[in-house]
Amino acid sequence: MITIHNLTAGYGKLEILQDLNLSFAERQFSAVLGPNGSGKSTVMKAIMGLNTVFGGSIKLKDRELIGTATEAIPSLGIAYVPQRENIFHELTVLENLQLGARSLPKPERPAALEALLDIFPILGRRRGQRAATLSGGEHQMLAIAIAWLSKPKIMLLDEPSAGLAPAIATDVFRILQELRQQGITLIVVEQNARRILQYCDYAYVLREGRLVFQGSAEECLQDEEMIKGYLGVHEGSVSTRP
Amino acid sequence: MPPALLTTSLVNTIQIGSLYALMALGITLTFSVMKLPNFAHAEYVTAGAYAALIVSLSGVLNPLVIMIAAFAVGALTALISHLAVFKPLEGRDVSFYTLILSSFAIGLIIRYILFTMADYFNLFDLRIAIPLQILFREGYLILSNLFAWVVPTSIVLVIILTLLLNRSPLGREMRALADNIILARVIGIRVERVKNYTWLLVGGLAGVAGALWGLQTAVHPLMGWGAIISVFAAAILGGLSSFSGTVMGAYVVAFSENTVMLFLNVNYGLDLAFKPAIPFIIIIAVLLLRPQGFTNLIKRAGDLGR
Repeated sequence: MITIHNLTAGYGKLEILQDLNLSFAERQFSAVLGPNGSGKSTVMKAIMGLNTVFGGSIKLKDRELIGTATEAIPSLGIAYVPQRENIFHELTVLENLQLGARSLPKPERPAALEALLDIFPILGRRRGQRAATLSGGEHQMLAIAIAWLSKPKIMLLDEPSAGLAPAIATDVFRILQELRQQGITLIVVEQNARRILQYCDYAYVLREGRLVFQGSAEECLQDEEMIKGYLGVHEGSVSTRP
Repeated sequence: MPPALLTTSLVNTIQIGSLYALMALGITLTFSVMKLPNFAHAEYVTAGAYAALIVSLSGVLNPLVIMIAAFAVGALTALISHLAVFKPLEGRDVSFYTLILSSFAIGLIIRYILFTMADYFNLFDLRIAIPLQILFREGYLILSNLFAWVVPTSIVLVIILTLLLNRSPLGREMRALADNIILARVIGIRVERVKNYTWLLVGGLAGVAGALWGLQTAVHPLMGWGAIISVFAAAILGGLSSFSGTVMGAYVVAFSENTVMLFLNVNYGLDLAFKPAIPFIIIIAVLLLRPQGFTNLIKRAGDLGR
């Protein structure tokens, strides 16, 4: 669904990704893994037009995304949840949700908000509160909810479990699974490989801006060498670094 | 202080404070949404005052028409300064200081365009030609039709602006921009369009403030510039982020400049020439002692717009 070809991208003059080739399949839950600084988040920012692209192409089906303004990307059916700063802190929870639903036709909005509260019941109880007052888990639910409300076909999530307690991170992954069952294509950047591999279908491993491994989640989990060598993740470790 | 002076100074406080509030709200809005302390704001006020003056000199004396003309001219001046200067500069990712200096420069350019125009058409020190009527006179207290225009109009505009920011989709998007502009882009808010509307609103309010001001004093190319420090003092009292704080700040500044100044003059013989120092003292005191201004006192349910 999204095909990345020979992508070289980074920030300012710094090249982080070099000649990266990746292809994300439709209706799959894909994980992008890799150690710090491997360029995982850079892939997402390049798709969203938030950083500098030096060369290559990113295609959504046949449409070239490079050069498309960030604010035009959501209307193509792509929603992005940044790792931090992913909610409007000074607005209420309800206002955040209204902003998420703003691209829907007016008559569809109430139903979308209602459906949302089935997936994220906690947000209903918090609707009048300023978003800055939410707990870490609620904050992340709200960020995912804002993205989900635009009825995207593809959702990009940058480390949705970062900084969350393990039980809450599990809740987040369960929600992601539920979103996949709705037919949404999920692309999730994760630091904690072992955990996400229990939920996702397919995984890509980046290292120093290049793709070093791809395969189904099972293949990935069985490949202890790969996990230790490329990901360097120990059992149960939770990292909050980008 | 004799009661006559006290009452007169309080009336002035309310009248001037309402005008300061209208102007300072624009400063706060520009700072929140655009991250720009805009010193050219003063000139949108003057441009609005001149628009009002010219309309009134052409024989139209309906105050509503005069206000609308002032709004339109103020709004356009602001939008043009954004499109011609601020937007291209933002595109080049210049520093905060460059933006501040460029706002001074734009202000200077507009001010001297107005000077040239005033000189050519001989428009110095004229008052907007609405006839003065005394509505209320009781002892020392005199309330004219100007008071009746200035105070309610300012208050109504402040209320409309607050409702717009808090209840309308456009207002919500403005606050979203103020909060997190990257996220606003990511969720598809057309940021440039929202900025344009913000500039129109900010300039329009400044223009109306200019017209209301021109009702009570003479219109002059320096009138906006002369008030800008007081207006910034009001906005800084509001922490440059809170709307209610800015309105409170406007009345505090007006109160200090009128009632407090007069009190010091009558009781301690302080020369009235010190009046222009008051906003500077307020700014320095706030920045040193309480840089957040009134914000945390009133920040319960949100920031901008509450």
